[in-house]
Amino acid sequence: MRRIASLSIMVTLLGLAALPMAGPTPAQTPVRGGTVTFATGADPDSLDPQNTQSNPGEQVNRMMYENLVRFSAKMQLEPALAESWSSSKDGLTWTFKLRKGVKFHDGTPFDAKAVKYFFDRVLGEEKPFKASLYTPVVQAADVIDASTVRVVLKQPFGAFLFIMAHSAGAIVSPSAHQKWGKDLALHPVGTGPFKFVEWVKGDRVTVQRNDDYWGGRPNLDRVVVKTVREDQSRVLMLESGDADLIVNIPTEEIARLKKDPRFTVESSPTARALFIAINVKKKPFDDVRVRQALNYAVNRDAIVKDLFQNNARVIPAHVSPLQNGYAQLSGYSYDPKKAKELLAQSGASSLKVKLWSPKGRFAKDYELAQAVQQDLAAVGVEASLSTLEWGAYLAATKAPAEQTDRELFLLGWSPSTGEARWGTFPLLHSSQLAPKGDNRGFFVSKTLDEAIEKATVATTDQSRLGALREAQQIAITEAPYIFLISPNMIVGTSKKVHGVMNLPLELTYLTEKSSKDK
Amino acid sequence: MIAYVTRRLLLIAPVLLGVSIGSFALLHLVPGDPAMILAGQEATEEVLAKIRHEHGLDQPLAGQFVVYLGNALRGNLGISIQSRQPVATLLAERFPFTLRLAFLAILVSGVLGVVAGVIAATRRNSMIDLMALLASLVGISVPIFWLGLLMMLVFSVRLQWFPAGGSGTMAHLVLPALVLGASSSAVIARMTRASMLEVLRQDYVRTARAKGVQDRIVIYRHALKNAMIPILTVFGLEFGYNLGGAVLTETVFSLPGVGRLIVEGIFARDYPVVQGSMLVVATTFVIVNLLTDIAYAWFDPRIRYN
Repeated sequence: MRRIASLSIMVTLLGLAALPMAGPTPAQTPVRGGTVTFATGADPDSLDPQNTQSNPGEQVNRMMYENLVRFSAKMQLEPALAESWSSSKDGLTWTFKLRKGVKFHDGTPFDAKAVKYFFDRVLGEEKPFKASLYTPVVQAADVIDASTVRVVLKQPFGAFLFIMAHSAGAIVSPSAHQKWGKDLALHPVGTGPFKFVEWVKGDRVTVQRNDDYWGGRPNLDRVVVKTVREDQSRVLMLESGDADLIVNIPTEEIARLKKDPRFTVESSPTARALFIAINVKKKPFDDVRVRQALNYAVNRDAIVKDLFQNNARVIPAHVSPLQNGYAQLSGYSYDPKKAKELLAQSGASSLKVKLWSPKGRFAKDYELAQAVQQDLAAVGVEASLSTLEWGAYLAATKAPAEQTDRELFLLGWSPSTGEARWGTFPLLHSSQLAPKGDNRGFFVSKTLDEAIEKATVATTDQSRLGALREAQQIAITEAPYIFLISPNMIVGTSKKVHGVMNLPLELTYLTEKSSKDK
Repeated sequence: MIAYVTRRLLLIAPVLLGVSIGSFALLHLVPGDPAMILAGQEATEEVLAKIRHEHGLDQPLAGQFVVYLGNALRGNLGISIQSRQPVATLLAERFPFTLRLAFLAILVSGVLGVVAGVIAATRRNSMIDLMALLASLVGISVPIFWLGLLMMLVFSVRLQWFPAGGSGTMAHLVLPALVLGASSSAVIARMTRASMLEVLRQDYVRTARAKGVQDRIVIYRHALKNAMIPILTVFGLEFGYNLGGAVLTETVFSLPGVGRLIVEGIFARDYPVVQGSMLVVATTFVIVNLLTDIAYAWFDPRIRYN
């Protein structure tokens, strides 16, 4: 049926890779050698990709490990350890042709056996944390020959390639897993452009170039990923030259850094959606008109322009444009008059609500909630805003319906598979009511459930995207959330550093093509 | 003396038991689920249940405490929920950083504080005295966070003398030690000044001067040694405070110390890590207090522990 990523794409890609430093950056030959010091906000939780559950861990893993397929900077699927793939018509059998002559950092050959080992591990007894991505979908994997693997699914799964491109789909050296077991978290061995050197916990992870990398020898000698918790300290480290690359620059600092000729500040869109969830079990939020009114009341354009200084974009529903399956639909306009009318119709013209927000978890989260609070006040909805520390916030917003009196609460969601089915199913499917899943507003809609299920088992991109579009349309009409914005990720680099990868999954890392001027 | 030290060391046990009960109770009073924080928003119920089971979090609280205490008595501090590493290993990696930092800070503040205090006391009501008082007032009042960022701005970004954070060399510890030592040196300076003024009024000082002993010797040998007792008390307290208070300095300067381990542990509800760290910090605190008491006897031979 489909033969995505056929030979022709491969040839183009290899051709591009062969060009020295293709792309918008200076067309000179990249400098070889050098160390990039990268300051990030937290320590990795683990360096075993099947057990890693945080961005700081995932971005380090992405330098050392590779998947069968990977995301491009624009979130398109590309071949990585698999050169090509195809699926049967019923969508149940997937065949991957693997890249030949690839070796893990410990010398173990990468072949069909290593891929089968990966599947056996995630489906088997060990149950690593991220196994839950694969167990509901995959039945088993078989070795066809040394460079061909067949994967059989339990049911057709439209987003199968996306879960393979997920950070947890990284292929680990089977011998390293056998040797280290649980301690694989401290002894990562993959096929990627960089090899593990050391992890000084709480301080830094160091990786060095893998000279045998199949994509060519990496330009950089080393990358040192430092844990620098304080936003302001990271900015100062960039300015003092102690770091070449920093993430999560506070919005207030962007203008100053941009003016400095030594640095580049890149603000790039992400797959994250920010919205305010509504507990539809509580009156008057069971009335769709009230929920729609809340949506009409918010001036999203002003939020993007004034609060985020254009480092964000308005989204019509709960899906960011960087999620595969995003549908360009028209969302709620800013219409306070209509909001008041709808509130009056539903008999809730003066309404007192509780609004919760985390502080410091997402970019400008609390300030965003404040902006919404003001907009709501303008239509006669008096919101009392309160905040909790993240651990307590998670517990409070995930408590079951009978144990909570939550009403409106700000949440952020970035589907780590990069596609809208995972951006919808856990949030809005009726089987995912909190605390089991992340449907924390207890929204139940039969038509939405059906659309999500159709997308789940779709065997063509066309039917998957169509079903996801339908799901987003239903969400807009039913307004289970106050839909808000998708924030950008803001990364600062020294002008000397080129080719930094900013994946919209809020992962920043360096590749074999990254380089640093002398 | 030996009997006294032994008795004091034995007293560590009830202190640690108290600390264990206190930190366990406080940690569990705070809402939040370690499994949920670890596994992130996307985690399924199955994964959460697995994490809870792995760390015994699905057991009743009293049971959890008994298990923890039993393990701790056998020297097993448990496994970190976040990193799945033994807490003892994490502490062995992190504690030396904090100890070194606290030690350097107390060294900085000791030298600065005592010297400033002595000079202020001997030139009472002079311009120098006034300056020292003013400086110590600033030192006590300035928030560590602000001072740290300011030091980075001046000494790392502008002058490029020291790195703006991280660890590895002694140069990495200079700014943090100065920042952490700033408020201690202010406290020590004020205590030294007050204590010296008290002693300098004593008759034996006047006698020494009348005998024609050099001024420097009068001040440093005759007066300072006798003024040391209250200063030592402050030393001990400040050192203990630095151990716990190092967290802000460690955060601003990105040092992988135990202070950050504790705070990150609290945010992650990583109960074993926080409890293990509390035990280590409490033990150090008790030992430092004991050393202070022993030092009293050295400075003032009239003090005997029998």
